[in-house]
Amino acid sequence: MKKHFLLIGSLLLSSMVYGAGFQLNLQGMRQLAMGGSGTAIPWDASTIFYNPGGMTQITNWQAYGSINVLTPRIRYVNAPTGTTTVDAVEQTYTPFNVYVAAPIGYKTRWRAGVGVYTPFGTGINWGNDWTGKYIIQDISLQAIYIQPTVSYEINDHVSVGAGFIYATGNVELNRALPTLNANGENGQAHLTGRGNGVGFNLGVHVKASDNVQFGFTYRSQVNMKVRRGFAEFSNLPTSLSGQFTNTAFSSKLPLPQVVSAGIGWMVSDRLTLQADANFVGWGTYDSLKFDYENNTSSLQDTRSARRYKNTLALRAGMHYKFSDNFAGMLGTAYDPSPVRDGFVNPDLPDSRRYLATGGLSLKLWERMTVIGVVEYIFAQERTGTSDEAGFTGTYQTKILNPGLAITYDF
Amino acid sequence: MKKLYILGALVLGLASCKPNLEPNAPERGDADFTSYLAVGNSTSAGFADGSLYLTGQLNSFPNILSQQFKTVGGGEFRQPLVNGEHGWPVAKKVLGYVQGPCDTMASVMPTDFSGALDTPGTYRNIADQGPFNNIGVPGIKVIHYGINGYAMANPFAARFFKDPATSNALDQINRTNHTFFTVWEGMNDVLDYAVKGGDQGSGTITNSMQFSTAFDSVMSTVTRNGAKGVVVTIPNILSLPYFNAIPAKGLRGIKEDQANKLNLAYNGTQVYFEIGDNYFVIEDTTEARGFRQIRDGEYVRLELPQDSVKCAGWGTTKPIPGMYVITADEVAKINAALTDFNSSIIKNATKYQIPVLDLRDYYNEVKNNGTSYNGVDYNFNFVSGGVFSLDGVHLTGRGNALLANRIIDRINTHYGSTIPFVDVNMYTGVRMP
Repeated sequence: MKKHFLLIGSLLLSSMVYGAGFQLNLQGMRQLAMGGSGTAIPWDASTIFYNPGGMTQITNWQAYGSINVLTPRIRYVNAPTGTTTVDAVEQTYTPFNVYVAAPIGYKTRWRAGVGVYTPFGTGINWGNDWTGKYIIQDISLQAIYIQPTVSYEINDHVSVGAGFIYATGNVELNRALPTLNANGENGQAHLTGRGNGVGFNLGVHVKASDNVQFGFTYRSQVNMKVRRGFAEFSNLPTSLSGQFTNTAFSSKLPLPQVVSAGIGWMVSDRLTLQADANFVGWGTYDSLKFDYENNTSSLQDTRSARRYKNTLALRAGMHYKFSDNFAGMLGTAYDPSPVRDGFVNPDLPDSRRYLATGGLSLKLWERMTVIGVVEYIFAQERTGTSDEAGFTGTYQTKILNPGLAITYDF
Repeated sequence: MKKLYILGALVLGLASCKPNLEPNAPERGDADFTSYLAVGNSTSAGFADGSLYLTGQLNSFPNILSQQFKTVGGGEFRQPLVNGEHGWPVAKKVLGYVQGPCDTMASVMPTDFSGALDTPGTYRNIADQGPFNNIGVPGIKVIHYGINGYAMANPFAARFFKDPATSNALDQINRTNHTFFTVWEGMNDVLDYAVKGGDQGSGTITNSMQFSTAFDSVMSTVTRNGAKGVVVTIPNILSLPYFNAIPAKGLRGIKEDQANKLNLAYNGTQVYFEIGDNYFVIEDTTEARGFRQIRDGEYVRLELPQDSVKCAGWGTTKPIPGMYVITADEVAKINAALTDFNSSIIKNATKYQIPVLDLRDYYNEVKNNGTSYNGVDYNFNFVSGGVFSLDGVHLTGRGNALLANRIIDRINTHYGSTIPFVDVNMYTGVRMP
């Protein structure tokens, strides 16, 4: 019985990674339409996320809001030949972003702004009675970053910016417990937790010439700490109820540092090309520890190996102005998975991804612009095993992700 | 026309948002699963929790296999099912709260099922419902297969053997036109000796020569129509929970004054008690004094009466009778028999060109490290391990399913088939009150 609870421990944290592992990259709609690139060129107030240094290019008060409506569709097939095909219950998620940026005073070199964005906000629901129920039934996660930011224009070419990140999130999950009562029913575990952490976002923006811009950013690791989550157990055999008393737990999860470099090239008045490289320091996510407040012989503190690997994502896009008011964007990206073979879990059926993105931006009137975007994710089918759980299967994920943004200049 | 294109693109676009991954269709490879025959003993029969009952039979590994075979052309699989869930001929074991005469409080222990007696009439011969695809007989040894009238001495065989008074087990094999088979035989040829108490009990170890001859006749009979199959070896029987649930150093919580008193009483002998956990005192007629303490590598049978330990001082003031203990000498005999029998099984399987699933490695692996299946951890611990039922010898439904997966793996490897694995956790394990 002891080892069973290893899995509960591993579950919560791996699940929180689900959001980060997917590296949502939905923090700006125009950038999303260009494959998620946006480090070099500050298109609008969402540069608070993409490159705080670029905020100096904002010339007046600007408010920015966006939302995505995405419904991942995920299928599991047991490998190599199976009789089991399970489609995850379709759930719709609506990650949002809000940014406000403004010059501080008249003819100033300083800008200030704040961003509230959703770098995590997803989940998966396989149903209560599927073949992997002892690993995960369902999980949902929401995380929001709040980032007050300033930037300073050193000279005509170089600007720097810095933001402080306060991260807050919550997670909820259900899984079956491998206990069987007199009726042959399994037990049930329900875990909820709130976490928070702090970090920072630094950026340098370089206008090399009228046509070429560079951006460099460093977003620090954020250690999300769950100080007091709750684990509740139900439907247990009476004889085991003393072993599984509801208890608080604490845990933490490192959300990795991201180092980005980008280039933007204004080929003509109408056409702009840009590209980004993101180094994501997943390697620090080596293992996951869980500390339960009330330990019993069946409920021990746990440590579970994750052994994530660092990844390098590449993104590129183009922006074409049909007129002063109307522009179109196209983009693509390559986003490898930090999850090694042997660690592929149904709570994070992660795989290498290729993106195809496109969007339109329309200036409705002088102060207001609307941006519409569609992202299509080609997630490679992945046949993988969770060695810890003894779980093997092939996963297929399809995501069509439309988004909408509105910017308003005061 | 243009509108049609747009419509078409839209439909394509939406369709590509739905997963379309389908499992590969299972293939039968070089084997023919049309008619499957299981030859074996109690484990093949679905015996579990110390008895034969309906759910146990439905969870037998042959029945589980037959359902997987259906994905590659397998046909009907007929088992000689008993009438109900009570257990036959004795009540099955279930977990319940038990308070012995010397217990201060009740604890969760295996105890006799007290539900409805729904198995009357099970003794009646049902051979006319056959021929049966599962002819596993609880208690049967390899050397029994050629004995005419064997069923008169085994009520489990008497239930379904055709012409029980005159036929033998090989005749039952001959009743079916099977195209595929599993043979897991020979365990009782050594287990009988061990579970009845070794040299002090009534069980015997089969002579190795007789074993080999008998196994050969089983193999020649089962392969007679060119049928293919899998032969399974005998794992280390001493790895079963039956021999490990009570450890050699199983005297718990001896206090200082108890230890002193015992050491005084055993003064001048090799017996010595420490504070805490201690080795049982056992009967050993080869010792000058007739007793000694048990050593690591020796085993206590699950059937050791707990009341005698708690109330009558067995293992402390009185030696545990030898029939409850497997001593090092007996372990050596068991291991020698296992080695002989398994080499004979492998030799005979090779002779008839049938692949062997050697369970010894798998049992050792699970015994030492456990195994995980879809988030559930399994090991050989009694009750909590999930693999073995409450008799400590026979498998749970999940244990049967794990075994079925090993067999499927062997079949797929040898015959080039792609039979899907069983979803182990769908089957039942040990239920707690």
